[in-house]
Amino acid sequence: MVRAKINNMPVTVDEGTSILDAAKQVQVKIPTLCKHPDLPPGAGCGLCIVKIKGSPKMLRACCTPLEENMDIITHDPEIVSVRRTVLELILSNHPNDCLQCGRNNNCELQSLVADFGIREESFQKFLPDCVKDDSTRTIVLDPQKCIRCGRCVKVCQEMQNVWALSFLERGFSTRISPAGDIKLADSPCIRCGQCSNHCPTGAIVELDETAKVWDALRNEDKYCVVQIAPAVRVAIGEAFGYPIGTNLTKKLYALLRRLGFKAVFDTNFGADVTIMEEGSEFIQRFAHGKGSLPLITSCCPGWVDFMEKFHPDMIDHFSSCKSPHEIVGVLSKTYYAQKKNIDPKKIYMVSIMPCTAKKNEIIRGEEMYASGSQDVDVALTTRELARMIKQAGIDFVNLPDEEPDQMLGDYTGAGVIFGATGGVMEAALRTAYYLLNGKNMDKLELNSIRGLDGVKVAEVPINGHKIRVAVAHGLNHVEYVLDQIRQAEKNGRELPYHFIEVMACLGGCVGGGGQPYGVTDELRLKRAAGIYQDDQGKEKRCSHENPFVQQLYREFLGKPLGEKSEHLLHTHYRALPVYVK
Amino acid sequence: MEQKLIFIKDTDNSQDRINDFYAFFLNALKENKLDQAAQVVRVADIGIYDKGLVVKISGGANEIIYAFVQEANINDIVCRSVKEDKIIPELLFKDSPKQLRIVLRNCGQIDPENIDEYIACDGYQALEKVVNQLTPEQVIEELKKSGLRGRGGAGFPTWLKWNLTRQAKDIQKYVICNADEGDPGAYMDRGVLEGDPHSVIEGLAIAGYAIGANKGYFYVRAEYPLAVERVEKAIKQAYDRGLLGKNILGSDFNFDIDIRLGAGAFVCGEETALIASIEGRRGTPRPRPPYPSIKGLWDRPTAINNVETLANIAVIILKGASWYSAIGTEKSKGTKVFALTGKVKNSGLVEVPMGITLREIVFDIGGGMISDKEIKAVQTGGPSGGVIPKEFLDTPVDYENLQKLGSIMGSGGMIVMDESDCMVDIAKFYLGFCVDESCGKCVPCRIGGYQMLSVLGAISEGQGKLEDLDKLQRIALAMQKASLCALGQTAPNPVVSTLKYFAQEYHDHIVNKKCRSHKCKHLLNYSINQDKCKRCKVCAINCPVKAITGDKEKGFFIDPKICVRCGKCFDVCKFNAIAKE
Amino acid sequence: MAYTKKDLEKIKNSLASQKKDWIKVGMSTCGIAAGSDKVYQAFIEEVKKRKLDIQVKQCGCQGMCYAEPCVEVHLQGLPDVIYGHVDKEGVIKILDKHVLNKVMVKDSIYDLRTKR
Repeated sequence: MVRAKINNMPVTVDEGTSILDAAKQVQVKIPTLCKHPDLPPGAGCGLCIVKIKGSPKMLRACCTPLEENMDIITHDPEIVSVRRTVLELILSNHPNDCLQCGRNNNCELQSLVADFGIREESFQKFLPDCVKDDSTRTIVLDPQKCIRCGRCVKVCQEMQNVWALSFLERGFSTRISPAGDIKLADSPCIRCGQCSNHCPTGAIVELDETAKVWDALRNEDKYCVVQIAPAVRVAIGEAFGYPIGTNLTKKLYALLRRLGFKAVFDTNFGADVTIMEEGSEFIQRFAHGKGSLPLITSCCPGWVDFMEKFHPDMIDHFSSCKSPHEIVGVLSKTYYAQKKNIDPKKIYMVSIMPCTAKKNEIIRGEEMYASGSQDVDVALTTRELARMIKQAGIDFVNLPDEEPDQMLGDYTGAGVIFGATGGVMEAALRTAYYLLNGKNMDKLELNSIRGLDGVKVAEVPINGHKIRVAVAHGLNHVEYVLDQIRQAEKNGRELPYHFIEVMACLGGCVGGGGQPYGVTDELRLKRAAGIYQDDQGKEKRCSHENPFVQQLYREFLGKPLGEKSEHLLHTHYRALPVYVK
Repeated sequence: MEQKLIFIKDTDNSQDRINDFYAFFLNALKENKLDQAAQVVRVADIGIYDKGLVVKISGGANEIIYAFVQEANINDIVCRSVKEDKIIPELLFKDSPKQLRIVLRNCGQIDPENIDEYIACDGYQALEKVVNQLTPEQVIEELKKSGLRGRGGAGFPTWLKWNLTRQAKDIQKYVICNADEGDPGAYMDRGVLEGDPHSVIEGLAIAGYAIGANKGYFYVRAEYPLAVERVEKAIKQAYDRGLLGKNILGSDFNFDIDIRLGAGAFVCGEETALIASIEGRRGTPRPRPPYPSIKGLWDRPTAINNVETLANIAVIILKGASWYSAIGTEKSKGTKVFALTGKVKNSGLVEVPMGITLREIVFDIGGGMISDKEIKAVQTGGPSGGVIPKEFLDTPVDYENLQKLGSIMGSGGMIVMDESDCMVDIAKFYLGFCVDESCGKCVPCRIGGYQMLSVLGAISEGQGKLEDLDKLQRIALAMQKASLCALGQTAPNPVVSTLKYFAQEYHDHIVNKKCRSHKCKHLLNYSINQDKCKRCKVCAINCPVKAITGDKEKGFFIDPKICVRCGKCFDVCKFNAIAKE
Repeated sequence: MAYTKKDLEKIKNSLASQKKDWIKVGMSTCGIAAGSDKVYQAFIEEVKKRKLDIQVKQCGCQGMCYAEPCVEVHLQGLPDVIYGHVDKEGVIKILDKHVLNKVMVKDSIYDLRTKR
């Protein structure tokens, strides 16, 4: 432990704690625009400077560990004045178009400038001459708004191991861009959107597609239907002042109806179907030796993209099952349309997702058009939905609870936990256990694969077999697991795992790139807790118990992995070039 | 009897007298019948300045130097000193030599590509002593007693750096020779590497032994191809003779050296950026702590020393700490190599004991000013240093004194400036260098430098306002306090020091729109002195913008509104009729 | 081969006992930029032409960058001197006057390598 003083108040912190974090103990917030709790300090912005009493030098609080007997001053007139100058310097290199910016009212730079009461421009404006890059059709890079804090680069390189973004040039010309100054769409970018989630300004934002949805809702020829992903329900409340992790599923159903959607479905239903397919796929590979082990989950489009670009040798291990929202999408335009006697061409399917990569997934291959047209017409992020709610003038907080539309709406506890890391695996094991054993597990919760450890492993005894599973989230943790497999395959050793779940984003979808800003581990855990609470409260907590899923198979699909299922619910993968020439 | 040589030089720079003196000497020799026994040689430089006629007689028992020799003394000199080898005490020049060559001991003496010549000058004897007779602790203790401080600029005690690295616990440690010399006008390290590479290799190996590293790197900028070539050859020769590699000189000490080339980024001289560059990453500094002595190259403890520091090591070991610490001042021991350039007569590499005054360096070693213009200032420390006005020429040079004057010792650039140098222009030049070389990582340096440069640009173009001076001070403070590395922290020094000592010049530029040094071309006004003008029309013909009009009767005139101040007319006029003010 | 202390001393002694005249040309970047490589080459050729028993060597920067190309001449019985601003013409003069006739080339000496 380290004992020191901050602003004359004693603090005791663990060794290695930064001054920035230590100051929180004495209720002092040191401003920063580059340090993010998810990331190691980058020391780029120069705002978090503090002094040691008696020394004229200033230190960066973000990267200086508090040392024994240090006597730190975090705020004095000189420090504040230097911070102010630094902030004004940033402004001199940043456009003043806050009103039209995707981060208006939600921008870390904007709030800091407001806090400092900067009323005039002291320095000449120099704006870089550069163009927006919206080539990915998922996120938009606006280098002019970039303050070069380096968070996105760190996220892309260190957290996600994708290396699509890097710094180019130097000095005043420094800018973020894919290496070689190519378009993001031609780069290794997997559209996970974590950069947009960590950006302190509007330099990287999700591509706003709300206008498309408004247009569809206005169009009387369209039969607009909607689905919400598991992680959305526990995060949307943050935009409306709810405590973090509040589950607002039923208010969302009501809301979406009021926005004008004719039917409100739930992606969780699709998740239950995914488990039926993927669970069966696992049994087939595990118990019947058909197909290669380990089976690797494929519901995360960021991960799919990553695998196709960087680990195409793993394609055989991938579950061919589509992701839940694609399943709801294709079923809405086939099964639902058939049952309700609606022309499938009129159905307009909107997915509300915690994810930017979903915007790309819906057009990633011809299998995404299995219904005859695009199965999901548009994928909105949680952030876009929050804006739509506000535009619609709906008093979200006071909405009554409503239920989803049947057939593609009701879900089990297994469906909702897809939104947290380990959830897909847990849900799949619940059903796999049933399929192998003919009865449910005694204890459904698999606590060892919950939580935020980068790689979680478990051994689950089922019917005399020991199923070894691994769960990885945050793509920098994936390499380790894949290498274990490769090593085992190379050396002819027993496979370390039979079943692997991977989510591109840290924490799984609750920490998705399309979620509300300000994500931290604490927040990820709280959102996940909301999800697990939903599961806990469900009467039916295994996918195979979902009566509507059973009805679906009985009346439409036949059986899991059957011919119709294969056609509608499965896809395939191909190696992608890391860089498009 | 050997032939005697009489070298003569009129150090008062009036070439008229030397021919007379030459003739007087020849006559005197003839009269004394010594014309066969002695030779009079007029020399271009005798290494003594402003001391009248200097005569140096060699070939006798003692070498004799006389200064302020008059015509009347000549016969006396020939009779007594040449003929009889006797000294004339009243003419004797007694000043001791100003230069002391420790680092440059072999530079210009030995063939740098021949290791035997280095060995003949006691080369590798220090390494032999260290590996066979001394413990690492004893080596560090010897350095501690010597008082050697880092010659890269900051003056950190070398023994302390080594000791910290020695004490860091790890299985692998590294030493690095920082040869990324980048200050404009500084080439001390290049001189040493090209002239005596083995002295640095020996120093590096001793450093490796002292800290417990078996691997060393030379980080040399690629713009020094000859230095790289010589170091490469030297390393190979050392390997061939077992002075590098396994079991060096019969001991159990192993040490390998590799070369890494820097791509010319100035910031890569900063140790953490240098490490990043060797590791193959973008060359940007990272926050310290952890210092490289704890966590350096590949996260291992690493000692990084400058070329000049390392070139000192072997001599200190051989001649002893007390010999070394007797040289220099109380806090700054030993010698310093300077690259003396600018408006000084003898530009070149000089090595002087610490504590010598700037005046001695410029006038006694450098031979004074190159033209008849008066000295205005001396710039030390390159772009990180400041400008020291002539009032402080008698300051003894050491780390602390230069810092007190608002400059720094730096790596050893020393640029002499005369009245034709404009201080605004000088500040602009150095700041411009740092702006170009900023890595762009942190705001104060990236944007602050650019903004300051734009303000200086405006001032030099006559667009400055008085409040700009406050703006410069304000940004300078933010850069000094909030920049991450020394590049940004020191970049404002040339501006701040010129603002301090030459405020009037800034005022002249801003208020009077005048640049007294005629450097800032926007503030220049060209006109034609009608009295001197011969109406030859050459200026009008050569003016690229046709600003000069007139005819032979009325004369020619320059329209200041059209004139672009290119100075062409000034250059082409043969009658000095163009006035510049 | 791996040297020992003895080898180092052997080399030192053998070079110290060498009594040979030599000419050294400053061949650092500062010298080469001023043309010392051509001067060096010229010395080698002219010495060969004159069949002189004098060694032509290269060395690093002597510190007098303003006077490059610099050439140091060491002849038995004469003080070592450094000629500055040496060009091809200077090479001939140094060889014909200084080396062959022990007459120093006037107005070209920039430093006297003597112990002051």
